[in-house]
Amino acid sequence: MPTLCHAAGTCSMGIHVILEEIGKPYEIRKMDFANQAQYKPDFMAINPKSKVPTLIRDDGSVLTEWPAIAMFLALSNPDKKLVPTDIEGMVRAQEAMAYCTATLHMQGWTRIWRTVTYTEIESEHPKIKARGKEIIDKGIAIFDKQLTGKDWLLGDFSIADCALYFLEVWFVERGNLALPANIAAHYERMKQRPSVQASRKYDGFA
Amino acid sequence: MPKLYYWPATCSITVRVILEETGLSYEDEAVDLGAKKQQSPEFLKVNPKAKVPAYLRDDGSLITEVPAIALWLALTNPDANLLASDYETRVRTLEIFDYIAGTIHMQGAARAWRPGSFSETEAAHDAIRARGKDIVMRGLDILSQTLGDKDWLTGSYSIADASLFFIEYWAREKVGYQMPANIEAHYHRMLGRPAVQRALAREGLVVPAF
Repeated sequence: MPTLCHAAGTCSMGIHVILEEIGKPYEIRKMDFANQAQYKPDFMAINPKSKVPTLIRDDGSVLTEWPAIAMFLALSNPDKKLVPTDIEGMVRAQEAMAYCTATLHMQGWTRIWRTVTYTEIESEHPKIKARGKEIIDKGIAIFDKQLTGKDWLLGDFSIADCALYFLEVWFVERGNLALPANIAAHYERMKQRPSVQASRKYDGFA
Repeated sequence: MPKLYYWPATCSITVRVILEETGLSYEDEAVDLGAKKQQSPEFLKVNPKAKVPAYLRDDGSLITEVPAIALWLALTNPDANLLASDYETRVRTLEIFDYIAGTIHMQGAARAWRPGSFSETEAAHDAIRARGKDIVMRGLDILSQTLGDKDWLTGSYSIADASLFFIEYWAREKVGYQMPANIEAHYHRMLGRPAVQRALAREGLVVPAF
């Protein structure tokens, strides 16, 4: 049975949703980020990057990086149709996932939440956070436009929607920020899915 | 003819190397990041994300994000053998790609190279640079383990190697980091490839000598 190393409320929520969409048995290894569990030797022996999501597969091999784990789960469960099979669709899925993870998360939210990792000079923090806010606002506006007239980012539901979903949770539940109209509607659609409801219940967002 | 929007020696060089490997004809247009041209109204019309690389296809549609452009070029040019066809290797290739783009570049090199984009206060810059270097060096250590004694990251040459090349070029030539020995050797192998030499030449960069 695969094991997802997951910390509540982090980007690994999106992978949790994908595992629920697939519906096969899996385990969760709960990571306590407040206690720096990702830097403890037992976890670093599994993933030296000290990051979630981390997926330990049936054969014991470890897979890291959100888009790679998502693509693996989608490709190894083709009957669930979680990623388009044509080149154009697959490339657009990768494009959306990369923007969510490398820009909105790593450039935007990281400035807002982990400001001290940029500088210990506290008087600088408001400006760093403000720049982070600019990045996430611009990014979510781009996705809002992409969703015009569509229920899901790529037309049909896909792993790209699960990447956008963890950002939506951050905006609404953790950042208390309003979402643009198409994104707000997408978030509501996500919350109707049993997979998302299971993840929210597990993480305490229900 | 497709067009690559780029700026020399940035992550757009990954796409450039891949383009040169495919042998496709393409145009290019420099977007001067130093002069903040990525924020100009003209470029925002092309790519509202205000980033390079951006790849404009013949049908007028645009692809953004290095891993997405790389995937497109690899999948539409199968003869160039830039991506394994089995999905396990394919997923491992994406894993490396995402780590380089999301962590080593966006978390590490971005801090080390442009501390001013994180804080305008000069006093903060040394610490930002140092933290950036830590992230890059830790990332190179992890990729050093992935590479092991192989010539290429995933066994045979792939888009992942072109992605690492961007970090290697930057670390070695721009900031003078000492890279792990097998990464240094990988960098030399990359520099020996005609496609890499053409990519450097088209960006007005000199092929480093050893």
